Amino acid sequence: MSLVNLAAVCSHLNNATSVRLGLTSIPNSKMHLKLCLALQNSGYISSVVRGGPTPPPAHPLLGYPAVNNKVDTIEPITRQNIASRRIWLGLKYWQNESVLGKMSMVSKPTRRITMTVSQLRRIVRGEDVEYVGGIRSPGESLYLSTDRGIMEARECIEKMLGGLVLCRVL
Amino acid sequence: MSFARPARCLFCSFSRAATPVTRIPRRQFHPATALLNEKPKVPDINASKTQAVNTSQPEKKPELKPEDFKEYTEEEKAALAKEYSKAQMDAVAAGEAAIDPKDLADQFNPRQDPLHFRYLDDFSVIEPVIDRHVRNPQSNTDYNWKPKSEEDFAEDLGKYIADMPDEADNIDFMRFLDEVRVTRGKEENELKPHSALVPELFGPGETVDEPRIEEQKSAFERGEKERSRVAEEMSEGHQNLLMTTGYTSSQAQNIRTKVLVSHSVVNQTRLGKIRRQYCLAVAGNQKGLLGIGESKSDEGTDANIQAKARAIRNMQPVPRYENRTVYGDLTGKVGAVELKLMHRPPGFGLRVQYLIWEMCRAAGIRDLSARVNRSRNPMNTVKATYKALMSQRDPEEIARARGKKIVDVRKVYYANQV
Repeated sequence: MSLVNLAAVCSHLNNATSVRLGLTSIPNSKMHLKLCLALQNSGYISSVVRGGPTPPPAHPLLGYPAVNNKVDTIEPITRQNIASRRIWLGLKYWQNESVLGKMSMVSKPTRRITMTVSQLRRIVRGEDVEYVGGIRSPGESLYLSTDRGIMEARECIEKMLGGLVLCRVL
Repeated sequence: MSFARPARCLFCSFSRAATPVTRIPRRQFHPATALLNEKPKVPDINASKTQAVNTSQPEKKPELKPEDFKEYTEEEKAALAKEYSKAQMDAVAAGEAAIDPKDLADQFNPRQDPLHFRYLDDFSVIEPVIDRHVRNPQSNTDYNWKPKSEEDFAEDLGKYIADMPDEADNIDFMRFLDEVRVTRGKEENELKPHSALVPELFGPGETVDEPRIEEQKSAFERGEKERSRVAEEMSEGHQNLLMTTGYTSSQAQNIRTKVLVSHSVVNQTRLGKIRRQYCLAVAGNQKGLLGIGESKSDEGTDANIQAKARAIRNMQPVPRYENRTVYGDLTGKVGAVELKLMHRPPGFGLRVQYLIWEMCRAAGIRDLSARVNRSRNPMNTVKATYKALMSQRDPEEIARARGKKIVDVRKVYYANQV
């Protein structure tokens, strides 16, 4: 669970959205994949596909790579090709603006921050807790790594889970 | 935010009465004042207590009773007899006898039912638009009308000369020119034609905001020779502004303008320094419009007027949450000025520095706090604030971009009344 790599992913996504890329890739890891699926669940990105060093074929109707592509099927992951896999992300844009705003790390590799449910409650209400800023803007999210996977702060409160605060998306 | 009703099948609506299943209850998003004013069905035990507490309700006028309507005394009858004839007096007496005092008491009491009118009117006058359009009758139309020929006009002139009084002057001739008709046929067809179109509500140049346009016109507009200095001044900058923006003079007066930054600037040429005055002004209608304007001029007052005019011209809508604060925390950066505007709960007030305070007042933002970091240059502070206020994102748009549904919980909780 390398936060160094996660920080690199955050910076890379910021760069990719600022130059309006439609498709980009990040290194494959279980944490990256779970975070990307959480982002997709929140509607920040359109697709998450694990492919090779070259972009996987686009879905004929959707226009971006998708797992349910029946025409050009995505190469299945095997023990032989797992090392060369990357996570390919479809980025979303709405009215000339990137849907995925600025991503920034909350925990740092040298300083990991964990939050309990009661602390998360205060954060979601907009209060600052232990140097972690509250969620005070519309469309802002905070992602946590819990023992039941990576999920959004509000979802953590629903499930009464605390965890390691990973990153913030504005 | 929009609260659309869930889409339902059109055909389902025909068979709704037959379906025994209760429909999904939906919250009413309109303020149901008519129902709120109704008396409770069950008398409240603590009514006397609540009445003592609830003093804000307007007191009801004492109701009229049949006993209040008494017959005319002998003195009153004698006074009436001076005005009216014997027959009229008999008619008055018959009318008095015919109407039951109980009916009178009922009719004279103001209505209390939920559908009563919220304004006082005796309904004796037909209000155009509210009641119905007042048009000329259709019988005014004459389908056989023809334009008059030259011979007809000559005949009219001959008739005028023949009937001319002995001491005729120019006024008589002008009146003749005004009154002479240009068509043959029914007179009403030319003067008061029937039209199916909606009749004009206002005279030329008249609007709802300015019904009495004559009185509001400036001396310059009325063409008076001795113009005041104020009117002179308005005719130049102000009138130009009104022309370009399309605001009426009363609307322009309600716009709040203020010069926030003013200092002299110098251009160094080989002939020497040329000083000019720089001005930065803000303008807002206190209902969500805000603009900033900059200007430079040799004269300070000139720069002031120009900056204000430009600020009014540059006014743009600022998104406001509940018409009082901003959507989310905002950041702005111009030069070395970095600032942060933070939304606040109702009643918090404007706890911000004076430049931002003036801008918020102009825009109509009432709850806000702000931090200005690094530099605090006044000019750049104003510009950064403007940038920050304009950079707001609409939550509805964010939700659409992410493919989510959004509901403002405060709005639902307070039944759309915040």
